Amino acid sequence: MTKPKKPILRVENICKILGGKEILKSVSLSLYKGELKVLIGPSGAGKSTLLQCINFLIPPDKGRVWLEETEIQSHKKRELYTFRQQVGMIFQDFNLFDHLNALENVAIALRKVKKMSRQAARDCAVAELERVGLGDKTTLYPAELSGGQKQRVSIARALAMEPKIMLLDEPTSALDPELIGEVLSVIRNLAQGGMTMILATHQIGFTRSLADEVLFMENGSIIEQGTPEDLLSPDACTRSRDFCSRLNELYEEGV
Amino acid sequence: MIDALIAIFEALPYLLKGALATSGIVIGAMGLGLVMGVHMAVGQVYGNRPTRWFVGLYVWFFRGVPVLVLLFLFYFGLFALIGLNLSAFAASILVLGMTTAAYQSQIFRGAILSLPKGQLQAARALGMSDIKAIISIILPQALRFSIPAWSNEYSIILKDSALAFVLGTSEIMARSHFVASRTYHHLPLYITAGCIYFLLTWLGVRALLKLEAKVRIPGYSQ
Repeated sequence: MTKPKKPILRVENICKILGGKEILKSVSLSLYKGELKVLIGPSGAGKSTLLQCINFLIPPDKGRVWLEETEIQSHKKRELYTFRQQVGMIFQDFNLFDHLNALENVAIALRKVKKMSRQAARDCAVAELERVGLGDKTTLYPAELSGGQKQRVSIARALAMEPKIMLLDEPTSALDPELIGEVLSVIRNLAQGGMTMILATHQIGFTRSLADEVLFMENGSIIEQGTPEDLLSPDACTRSRDFCSRLNELYEEGV
Repeated sequence: MIDALIAIFEALPYLLKGALATSGIVIGAMGLGLVMGVHMAVGQVYGNRPTRWFVGLYVWFFRGVPVLVLLFLFYFGLFALIGLNLSAFAASILVLGMTTAAYQSQIFRGAILSLPKGQLQAARALGMSDIKAIISIILPQALRFSIPAWSNEYSIILKDSALAFVLGTSEIMARSHFVASRTYHHLPLYITAGCIYFLLTWLGVRALLKLEAKVRIPGYSQ
């Protein structure tokens, strides 16, 4: 794997205490262009909090974030909003805007944030929805879509902003097993298209086949990191390996 | 009996003019309450401590004092004190508007708080400022869910508007009272007045039901 010298996103010493509990203990990571890093680990390890601290949806208590050499001054609102536009976020429970149909969900930020004209935003939204295979569902409202379709709309919504990186917070965890595939295939296409991403997931098979690096989190720290082969191969004696084989037993997921 | 019918018939155009005044008061007060109420609700949910404190105080005051006292207090007291020379009609709109604003703000506040947290988060994650997110994402949903309670508030304010009579506003109640005292046909005239109020309530609630159906989100059930 050849990496450019400069990371596109650098996160240093993020700490977060919520309700007296230390959720993140000085977490650092670097993300390079085109890279897919996968965060795995048990629930409560701090994966979601880490992702939400990176784009300041949860303000970290301590720590610094750089996007392409520029440190984000999160107290400067303008800078923060510009930064967030460049960081796509996918949530576990989709968070589509319930009062807007699929097309408007994708178009609204283009109009309100990117100041595109109604028509341009529309065209762009249609193109993004087609890209995730929902070209025929543009007029449906979130309540009329299946979970998998909702998550694909939310991916289209994030992609429409042309983000430099994407943060995906367990995008398939709220889905029925038969709907997971359609969402994973969209993410796979993104990865193969060179999108830079951090993905928190429990899909070990997917991680094995696509991750450039696996970060194993437990109790607020990244305790292991390395290539999927290093951490997850059957003869690796790692905490990650243990965790994954237990997940596999649970879900009987073939690789 | 015939006398009574004739009295009603003769008074009807005069009373209907009063209905126009009543409608003006109610529409004005509900409109003022809507604008103020939305701002207060947003301030109470998203504002800083002084804003929340101020809105809380406002709501506490206007919900705690009878409308009749408020009407006298403002019309004869406070408005005069600050040199505001208002007609009884304008003063009624203002006082009823400020009162319903307190109640409406709590309707909207409840609706805003009932929305899933992820809506604001998703808007922020797309780079929206909080103001933009509130305007394009939060309020369009919260206002939709407020319509049933708002329609209730409409019927309350419509009936409270009869109190404007005491300031000398020439609305339904004032006019019925005036004709009744002159002709001594108290019963038929107050029945007529009641019927006009009933009709206005029915029309307004029906229109709001129509609106509710029109802006309903397809497939969505709350």
